[in-house]
Parts: sequence; structure tokens; C-alpha cells
Amino acid sequence: MSLINKKIKKDKNLAMVIVGDRCVGCDACYVACKTDWDVPALKGAYRTKVFEVEGEDIHKNPTISFLPTLCNHCDSAPCVDVCPTGASFKRDEDGIVLVEPEMCIGCKACMVACPYDARYYNEELEAVDKCTFCLPRISNGLDPACVTTCVGESRNFGDLNDKDSNVAKLLRDATSIAKLKEDEGTSPNVYYVTVNY
Amino acid sequence: MSRHNISRRGFLKLATASSVAITAGITGLPSPLRASSKKEVKKGARFLKYDRGVKTTNFCEMCFWNCGVNVYTRNGVIHKLEGNKLNPNNRGHLCAKGNAGIQSTYDADRVQSPLIRTGNRGEGKFKKVSWEEAYKYVHKKLNPLIDEYGPETLATFMHGTGEPYPHMLTLALGSPNITIPAYSQCLGSREMAWALTFGTGVSGHETYDMANSKHMMIFGRNFAGSVQVRETEDFAEGLARGAKLTYIDPRQSESAVRATDWLQINPGTDMALALGFIHVIIRDNLANMDFVRKYCYGYNELTEHMKKYSPQWASKKTGIDAKTIERIAWEFAKDAPNVVAIPARRHTRYGNDTQTVRAIAILNALMGSWGVPGGIFIRNKVPLNFPKEELPDAPDARRADGAGKGEKYPLAPITLGRTNGIYKATLTKKPYPIKAWLLYGTNPLSHSSIGVNGIYKALDNLDLIIAIDTQFSDTVMYADVIFPESTYLERYDAPFVQKDKTPFITLRKPAIKPIYDTKGCFDICKGIAKEFELDDWFEKSPKEQVEELSQVLSEEQMKTLEKDGVLLFEDVNPYPCASGVTPDFATSTGKVQLYVKDLEEMYKKQGDEFSPMPIFKDPVMPAKDEFRMLFGRTPHHSHARSQNNWILLELQDDTPVWMNPKDAKKMGYKDGDMVYLVNAKTGHKSDHSERLKVTNRIKEGAVFIHHGFGHTTKAWTRGYEKGTKENWFVSDGVDPISGAAAFHNGFVKVVRA
Repeated sequence: MSLINKKIKKDKNLAMVIVGDRCVGCDACYVACKTDWDVPALKGAYRTKVFEVEGEDIHKNPTISFLPTLCNHCDSAPCVDVCPTGASFKRDEDGIVLVEPEMCIGCKACMVACPYDARYYNEELEAVDKCTFCLPRISNGLDPACVTTCVGESRNFGDLNDKDSNVAKLLRDATSIAKLKEDEGTSPNVYYVTVNY
Repeated sequence: MSRHNISRRGFLKLATASSVAITAGITGLPSPLRASSKKEVKKGARFLKYDRGVKTTNFCEMCFWNCGVNVYTRNGVIHKLEGNKLNPNNRGHLCAKGNAGIQSTYDADRVQSPLIRTGNRGEGKFKKVSWEEAYKYVHKKLNPLIDEYGPETLATFMHGTGEPYPHMLTLALGSPNITIPAYSQCLGSREMAWALTFGTGVSGHETYDMANSKHMMIFGRNFAGSVQVRETEDFAEGLARGAKLTYIDPRQSESAVRATDWLQINPGTDMALALGFIHVIIRDNLANMDFVRKYCYGYNELTEHMKKYSPQWASKKTGIDAKTIERIAWEFAKDAPNVVAIPARRHTRYGNDTQTVRAIAILNALMGSWGVPGGIFIRNKVPLNFPKEELPDAPDARRADGAGKGEKYPLAPITLGRTNGIYKATLTKKPYPIKAWLLYGTNPLSHSSIGVNGIYKALDNLDLIIAIDTQFSDTVMYADVIFPESTYLERYDAPFVQKDKTPFITLRKPAIKPIYDTKGCFDICKGIAKEFELDDWFEKSPKEQVEELSQVLSEEQMKTLEKDGVLLFEDVNPYPCASGVTPDFATSTGKVQLYVKDLEEMYKKQGDEFSPMPIFKDPVMPAKDEFRMLFGRTPHHSHARSQNNWILLELQDDTPVWMNPKDAKKMGYKDGDMVYLVNAKTGHKSDHSERLKVTNRIKEGAVFIHHGFGHTTKAWTRGYEKGTKENWFVSDGVDPISGAAAFHNGFVKVVRA
């Protein structure tokens, strides 16, 4: 399982594992997330979003697939590296990347640095905002909002260090595993898998 | 932040001045991001707190599916909606629409008090009145109409959980004209065909056992795109477990992309394809003869009837290769009986809808997929004896909609009625003048069978339009008097009792007090009834009906229901045919009717359209420079009701016109060009231009847009004029058997903007 990041030591190795072909593109995650975290009503302000990707197969037949995206909580996070104040930081204990709004000066360097377009500027907070892997929820025994509501049960969340976790099992059973923009050296923690049940 | 994009928090800030009720909530409005004060920053500490708040149980009203919802409030403000894991309708999940329910409640565009029109109809000028004034207004206006034309001059349209109350009010006033658009604008033909074949409808909560299916053959039912949660789950689950999916649709929908075989069929020829499959199944001895012998009526007649429908014939009609038709028929039969053939839900398409679904029902019968895992499961009733509700006597007056015995559509159920019949009666004043409409949660200007033009003309014939709604829809804007309904998050409703695979009871309790001067539908209808001294019919409020459950439930059951919001009755068998139990078929022969004896007489008198076994007729075709107008669901909106919900509007606020690349090339168009649609019959041109989406995902000769947009109500500050209203461009056809509408024979020209 060479794809699992081993560069840094974390007590918990939190990850999102998305079973790609179970996503139906309903965008329930988008709404659940925006509602739970009061993400302002602006297009372009979101913490997670599903993209519809249109293409063609080898017979020139049209295809579409759905690509749910969110912060990858990278182990080598460019947003953290460029932050001038330390507002963007990565938690040692579980690898979650956060922005501390009280320290954010709104320079938006992190938004430019992020290869996943996972951040937006929140005018109400006067700070950059992003996915927290629902840290407030998971700290209180709940699943992330997007996982809780996912109609196709495409999204799975948990600790890869726990061999019995759903996410660890999915990665073991996966027939294919992909991560986005790995060539940028970010070591992302969001996995896209296919599984034979 | 502009008024057009307003968050819940922003709404609450704006609302402080005017609303005492929620002020308490605002001062204490907690947010994990606001929680810490400026004094000392412990980096990230704020992200560890989460106040889930107080839970109340409810069920969703964003669409008709009614998923179980847990509503979480903090200091009297709704913070979050989450699916109830125990509710079989959604098993803990909510779709985008369900998650966005809060935004529909905290919306300053809602109807905020009773209103009486002061300006011209549709002008949007109303005065705020007291409830008493509004009730009295109805009495003052309706009474003379009843005196002059009889009570049947009132016609009622209903959609929503409060339906029993306008129903009761209309009956008590003495009018038989009660209609639910779900029949004639949506699934009427499908239910008719299923009932003629199996003796029961598919039902609103459809009985397809997709999670366990080995092969789903789906005729344009977009499970992934229309998102009724359990079905979308089951569809995804069935596919994940390896089911084959044959998906039949001129458009590649969100569901079609998952198909083993997507058959991009010629529009209007689904019946021909089903007949081709049946032909192969009979010809090659692939039918489940055990099931056919035990339970079916008319196999010999069917064998004879199907001879002419060879795969080669079907190929010519459908555009699907004959070899493919044979292969799929064989594959389907190989996995029988754990297979299911599924018709569209809104089967108001080509005017041959009942017979098309008949052919699909016959496919299921020949596979023996009834009452087995992976096929069609059997619904069970909640095994309790509820006290019988007393209703006023059925009015003597004849119905105006042509539904029921002795009328043009004798099979159409009078419990649901034909909205299209009422529209037409209002327009033509035949069989008698309809002078008053009562609209409960319905909006004919956005979706009807006589087109938008027709509805505008029908409205002119009305002396009184009464609306009960949470919001100003296009039609509510034309009302003379408007009663604001509390949203589902603010009101009680009667216990929700669902006959299902696993039957259950669920409850709706208000999570907050009404934000504005609104009431539940029960109180509104009772208030109107009181003016006519008919309020005795409104004996028990929804809250009292909930409390009354303790008479039929044990203490323990009551406790479970209170705690969980759901009470399941699990000791049931949804698969009788798989476990040796003889199923009941409530048809006239007591069997599954491959041949429908009930239609014989009409067939003799009225011809092929009424044949006891489906006879295919070519669909009407657009002229050379015209396109067939197709429309369907988007996963991001509910009917024409949610296009002012800011968060859903973010997900979709336009209706690009889908066109095949070959058509685009002929017309000289390219992707992204701006175009207008023009109704080929009426000449009506769309209000504004739309972006052309050139894609192989739509069949040549047809264009497609999503349903529910193009609102003309200026009260919708965000949804106003977003997208195009497809109802300007649909046909006004009628299915001769069910009497339901046929929309897809409408043709348009596509002109450059």
C-alpha cells in the first residue's frame, strides 16, 4: 500500500476515501457542508463541491463522471508553507489542515498556492476558510457532515492507522486507488477508489 | 452582501428589527467560528467545540418523498437538518434539497401574513389583513358563487402533507372537484397500467427492489438525477453489488451514465422496444412459465398478439439494433426472477403512456419478478386499527374533470381527479362554469397540461382564487386572497403512516415557533370552514391526532416513536412469491392480467388505443426545422418550488438547451451560443435566451431543458426569471385510458439570440 502517506508521523492518519462510482452527483454534501458551517451565499464560496466531468469513451460515446472535491489535508501542504502569519497550519496529532481566523490577515497567498482550489475568502470572518474534515463534529463523536448525508454512500471517513476502520478496509479492498495532483508533491489524504463488492 | 444572496445568519441579522420571536436566538447565536472572543488565541481550539443543539423529529417537505429528518436547533434557531437513520425512506441521508430546507424557512421572500389583493391580478399588490378579515373575505366572495353556480363551481388543487384539510373543506362545502396533480400531471398513467396488470399501483414510494436486483431495465426513470433518497441509495447499492443496468432514454441522464447498456432510443418508442423484448422472450421460450401458469391471465392471447413485434420491427421504430434487443432480452431472462423492468415516474409523455407501461408491466410478469427479492416487493400495511375518519357525504354534483364512472375517463380515480380536466373546464366553462379555485401548495402556471397560455386564460374566467402556500409562486401571485402556511419546520402535521416494504409511522413536530404570522393548513381550513359554519368537520388538530396515537399504540411503542421519531413494524414479508405464499392480485380476474379484460368494451367502441394488449402506433413527429421538447428533473431542485432557495439556486440557476452535435451543425450553432425557444404551434418565444449545450447526450431531433425554472413571480427576489419555463413549449395531449396529460409531443424552433 505504497500510496498511503508515510512521510510524517501522526497519531491518527485521518483520510477521506471516496468510492468514485457511488457518487451520483446530487450535491447533498455541498449543501450539508455550507449549512453546518455557515459558508456564505456566494458562488465560489464552498468547502466541498462535486464536479461533473463530461468525456467520451473509445467508441466516441459520451460519458460523465462525478468528482467530489474538498481540502486534501496534504501532508506537504503548500498553503501552510506560504502562510506569512502561521494562521494556516497542520495539526500534529491527526494531520488536519486548518486556518485560525484570528491570525489570518487575508493575504490570500494560500488560496493561490492550493492546487485543489479548496479555499475561499470569507468576508464575514475576514479570513480564509476551508474544510476542517469537520473537526468540531468528529471531536464530538460525529461523522463529517458530508459523509453523514452522502446519498450514494460514496464518502467514507476515518483513521487509516486503525486497521478495522472503514477507510482502511476500503483501501485494502480497492481495485484501484487514485489521488488528485500527486505530481505536485502534496501527499494528499483524499483517496478515490473503485471497489468490487 | 446583496439581498439576492442572503445567508441564514445574514437573514437573522436583517430580521432582528422586525421579529421579536427570533431575537432571543440571535443574541445567543452560536457558531464554532465566532465562539471564541478576541482575548487570547489558542490556535485551533475553536474547532473542537460542537453544540449539536436540541433535536426534534420531523419528515421532509422539500419533495413528496418525505424523508425522515432530525432538526437541530440552538437557542431557538434551526442550525442543521440531518437524515433520520431509522426512517426507511432515507436511512439517515438527505439530498441537496432536503439539506436546504432551512433556507426555505428563513427566507424573507415568504408569505408573511394573510393578504388580500388590491392591484390587478398578478400585479403583486396586496394589503396585509388579519386572519378574520381573510376568512370573511372568502365567505363574502365564495358564497354568492355557490348560490349562483352551485358548490361544484369551486375546484381544489392540493399538493403537500396538509392535503386532508382542503380536501375536507371542499367536500364539506359540497364540491366534488378535488384534484391532486400527482395523478394527471405525473404518475397517473403508470399507476393505471400497473393496476390493470397487477391490481395495485407502483405507489408513490415505488416498490422496485433495486438493491437486490441482478438486472434493472429502466425506461427513463432517472433515479440518480431525481433523488428520492431511498431509491437513489438502492439504485447505487444494486449497481455496486454488480447488477446489470439497461437504461433506455433519448437523453443520457445521471442514471444513464451508470448503464451496462444505454439505449439512446427514438423518443416516443419505448413501447415498441418493450414489445420487441416481449417478442423475443416468448419466441425463445424465456418466460418464467411457472409464474405465468400459476398467476397470469391471457398468455395465449399475448403469444398471438406479439408475433408481429419482432426485434427487426422494434429496431426500425426505436433505432436500437435488433441484435442488441435480442441480447438484452436473453440477459434479462437469464437473471429472472430477480430482475425488474421499471417505467418512468412522471409518465405523462406521448399519450400512449398507459399502454407503454402496460408493456413494461407485462415484461415483469413474464419474468415472474413479482414478490421476489430483486424484483417488485410487496407493500405491507401498518398493522393497527386506526379510528375511522368521518368524511362529509360525497357531493351529488357531477365532477367537472371527466374522471370517474359514466364520464369520459371512467377509470380515472375520483380520489385524485384530473387537474387537466379542471383546467379545461375552467377554460371552456364546460360541463359547467368553474368560478373559484383553491390552491394548496400547487402552481398551475409552472406545470400544467394546457400550457401557460391556457392557464392565463383560465385564470381570467375565475371570480375567486384562494391560495394556501408558504411562498409566492407564479400562481399564488394571481390569487385574490392568500393564507400563509407555516413551513414543515414550524408546524405539526398528522402522523405519517406509510404502507411499505417495512411499514412505519413517523411524526412531524415543530422545531421552532412560526417566524411570521403563519398557521398550519388545518387551522387555515378550519378558519375558512367556520365562516360557513362547517368547522365541526375539523375536530382534531394535527397535534391532537399525534396524541391520539396512544389509543392504538402501546406505551412502549409510543415511547419509541417519541424518542426516535419513527416506529417500524418489522414482522412482515415483502417477498411472498419467493417464500411460497400465494399473493393476492386485486384485478377483475384475480390474476396478473397480460390481457386486460376490463378494456374489451372500450376497445370495441373506441379502437386500438384501448386494446387489452398494447398496440404500437408511431408517435407524431416534429416538422423538419422543429425539435421535440423534452424536459426532466435536476437533482438540485424540487418541482417548481425550490428555485428561490438561495443555496439550491447556487447549484443551478439556469436551463441550458441541450442539442445534439449533428443538429447543431445543421443549424450552424456551436456550444455556448445563445438561443431562444419558439413554440411551433403557438409562436410563443421564450422570455430570455439560454445557453446552447451541444452534446451527444441528447438524441438528434430533440432538445432538452430542466423542469421548474423561468418563474414570473417578482416576489421571488432570487429565483425571478432564472432559466426557462418548459411549460410554454409542451403539448396538451391526454392519455385516452388514464386521462393523464401528455407533454412530450410539443415541438419548438430554436432561434439564435
